[in-house]
Amino acid sequence: MTILENLKKVFEGKFRDVLSHNNITIFNFSRNTSETVEVKEGNKLVIDLSKATEEEKKLVRNILDSRVQSENEAFLMDHSSEKTLKIKQNLPYGESEELLKFYKDKLKPEMYKALEASIIVKNAFEREEDISEMKRDISEKYPTFGNNLCNLVTRGYFNEHFRELHQSMLEDEEFDINVYQRKVEKIVKSLPYTVFITRYKSYDELSGEIRFKLDRLKKYGTGKLLLHGLGRENVNTTMTIIEEYKEDEHINIQIEINPKKTIITATLNF
Amino acid sequence: MKLSQITFSKLAVRDILELYGKSLDNEDFIVEKDNPSQRVLTPNGEEIHIEEWGGIRKGSEAFIKNDTFSLIELAKKLE
Repeated sequence: MTILENLKKVFEGKFRDVLSHNNITIFNFSRNTSETVEVKEGNKLVIDLSKATEEEKKLVRNILDSRVQSENEAFLMDHSSEKTLKIKQNLPYGESEELLKFYKDKLKPEMYKALEASIIVKNAFEREEDISEMKRDISEKYPTFGNNLCNLVTRGYFNEHFRELHQSMLEDEEFDINVYQRKVEKIVKSLPYTVFITRYKSYDELSGEIRFKLDRLKKYGTGKLLLHGLGRENVNTTMTIIEEYKEDEHINIQIEINPKKTIITATLNF
Repeated sequence: MKLSQITFSKLAVRDILELYGKSLDNEDFIVEKDNPSQRVLTPNGEEIHIEEWGGIRKGSEAFIKNDTFSLIELAKKLE
């Protein structure tokens, strides 16, 4: 028996004018202006439980229990239902599913969960859907890194940079997954004051970007800027850029570099 | 699992809670109507503020939240 037929049985007598509508496909509990059951927007049957009798409420509960428990349906608020559908349409697939698999045993569980959600946000963004609520949820759940991680996923850093970082660290003799996790976490958390040294930008572009960020960070009092580079070429570029600040007595520079000189994180404290 | 064709609007949240024998405490968390000191928990053991409530899915009393992470778990189970 369909939902409509079931509901008609519950609200017998209140369905008279509704019977003429044969195109009802949506059922929503809300508050109606006058009747217990009303048809709105042509195909939506709206039921106001505050106007229903106790017996009618009991029968409605039976219908819902049957749908949820026997038919394995999720009974949701309309907004949550739409949000779930949107998420389902944007779940990782193909390349993004592979990407997620790659990080499954490499990231801390909470960062992995944020990555999965951020991939869904990226997929939704590419379909030109509204992503503001999902981004807000990620930031609220993980306030120290959620928003940054989401931005890094959108900008493709998990497709390349963090994979390359893993590969480079794996080549070190004493590879430790905990060190990789800490490194990723540090980079993600410090995104607003990090510059990625990449071969896709010229030396002048990078040097200018760093000078610009330094001036801004000095003004707003953050006190540090991280330069992060992968690969020998980028390590060398980073070292050359650092030379520009060696004589600056207001800047203290700390350099972390791996034995093979393929990974560098330089922190400029000022 | 499927999404039901039946949904409820924000206006009807209290009606639906009442239907399931629930109410709200003075901090607007969902509680058992006949035992207001007992807050309802999600299958993950989290208390549910009324603003966070998403709906119900299969389970003895499986109340779920409406945040992206809870709904991702639900979306992955959908046919």
